[in-house]
Amino acid sequence: MNYNAIREKLSAGRAVLLDGGIGTEVTRRGIRWRQHGIEDAPDTIRDIHRDYLNAGVDILTTHTFNLTKRNFINFFRDGEHMELIGATGLPSKAVELCSSAVTLAKEALTETGKAETVPLAGSISPVMHVFRPDLSPPGNDCLAHHRECAEILSSCGVDLIFFEGMNNTREAEAALEAASGFDLPVWMSFVPGTDGNLLNGESLHSAADLARSKGAEAVLVSAGSMPMITKSLPNIINGSPSGAKAVIGRYSPPSWKPDFYPRFENIEEVSPENYAREAQGWLDQGVQIIGGSSGTTPEHIRAVREIIT
Amino acid sequence: MLDGGIGTEILRRGYTWASHQLKTEPELNLEIHQDYINAGADVITTNTFQLSKRSFRNHFANDKHLAAMGASGLLDRAGELIHESVALADKARSSLGRSNTPIAASITTLEWCFRPDRNPDVEKIYDEYLEELTDYADAGADIFLFETFNSTPEAEVAIKAAKELKMPAWVAFVPYQDGRLLGGQTMAEVVDAMARNEPDVLFLNCAPPEHITAGLEQLAPLWDKPLGVYAHVGKFNPPEWQFTDDYNAEKYLQECKHWHDLGATVIGGCCGTTPEYIKKLTEFFSQ
Repeated sequence: MNYNAIREKLSAGRAVLLDGGIGTEVTRRGIRWRQHGIEDAPDTIRDIHRDYLNAGVDILTTHTFNLTKRNFINFFRDGEHMELIGATGLPSKAVELCSSAVTLAKEALTETGKAETVPLAGSISPVMHVFRPDLSPPGNDCLAHHRECAEILSSCGVDLIFFEGMNNTREAEAALEAASGFDLPVWMSFVPGTDGNLLNGESLHSAADLARSKGAEAVLVSAGSMPMITKSLPNIINGSPSGAKAVIGRYSPPSWKPDFYPRFENIEEVSPENYAREAQGWLDQGVQIIGGSSGTTPEHIRAVREIIT
Repeated sequence: MLDGGIGTEILRRGYTWASHQLKTEPELNLEIHQDYINAGADVITTNTFQLSKRSFRNHFANDKHLAAMGASGLLDRAGELIHESVALADKARSSLGRSNTPIAASITTLEWCFRPDRNPDVEKIYDEYLEELTDYADAGADIFLFETFNSTPEAEVAIKAAKELKMPAWVAFVPYQDGRLLGGQTMAEVVDAMARNEPDVLFLNCAPPEHITAGLEQLAPLWDKPLGVYAHVGKFNPPEWQFTDDYNAEKYLQECKHWHDLGATVIGGCCGTTPEYIKKLTEFFSQ
């Protein structure tokens, strides 16, 4: 409903601010990482959204990265095995949590009086671990998975679909096809590897072109360190809206937990001012959309707000 | 008599198990081991299920990506935690004057235990096992307990590495409701493969009692060497555990008696069981 203001900003060549890390904020604030903290600490999730809104984001993102049916079923051999040895309610758990996540974001928008001015982006992650392109399933499987995720978020009332952290072109293409039937704007971010290309070695330049040709209104890079993001940016900048979100700190997965776990160490090594300085460099290169990936906090986003108008 | 659940016991006592809590809550680990010894366990197990170098490496696209993005020392963490786990088990047995209680090193499949479709290429994993097992051996573990394996080929590699280190190898497989392994092999195939590799004890574990029974009914008539079982009670609620009262300690004991009648002589508890369960079993089986 209010996405048009974003579109106008982008056409006018102005910058758009996204939020920063959400999962890493949940763990940083001492919440136990189970069910994304949504069942244990809904107030904390709402607080995080509110802090980003108060920091001045132009778009708010749902706390739904890595929150899918697949994330639960991945712990079991198959659906039958999950029925037999899994906790009651697991098959419908992801849908319930996604719905709660959207509600929490909307409550924060209402509480801050921004429900009419700040659109809500529904975040959809890769089918498998964001850093494991080798595990990405065949295209048809990706298509069905992403269509279901888009369906859930769309029916909950998000204003745009944001595929975050795509790590290979086959899945990216399937995701864009999956989102095409929902009459919502679609954005997509790619994960770079150390060489500035896609994490699986494919050409990021080609992936960005493909994404735009399949309907992505904006193409970003995310979930890489600041040097990786900076190095990869020339591959996605082409005059159409593009963006950057870097992680800060070092990924510190626990000794037990096979899927992505939002814990980053040493985030204090990149101060909000330093992050904003890096972001200024990205803006100078022609990027219009700035946010933060894992490890970044509302203070980092606030610092970026101060350099863009 | 083995011990019972450790990861689930950490959860039941109010902590997350995401990082095993070996360095963060050593006292908690110590208490759990002590509680199992006091409950009558003849063997205690390290708190290391799923802990391996690969567990960390699996979070990254490749080693270059890990070097660029990962926390410092990430690839040394598994080895450090393995040493810590054995030290804590050792401290627990010494503190109770039970230094002769053997410590079993808990080792599971390199990839996720319930996903046979992800099993690694067995031609390429021997060195990885040998390195991991050497850490346990150097730290002072007495037995290798390969648990929650879903197929025989990976277990054969693990046993081979254990034999190279001249230590006892116990092997536990996950059965399914159809009496086969979770990965689909029949118990006849398991016996065939294990007869060639000679684990010191063969177990079924990490399945609900009904699946353990289904598997044991197939396996026991074919296996004439030491046989063991330990089932889980409750439901897996990733990443944690849902404790239920479907099988309380008394009812679990009844299952164990049945398994004992079928031929199991080494008995313990898997996820969801507590020192109370082990105490109940000890009271009965020591009569």
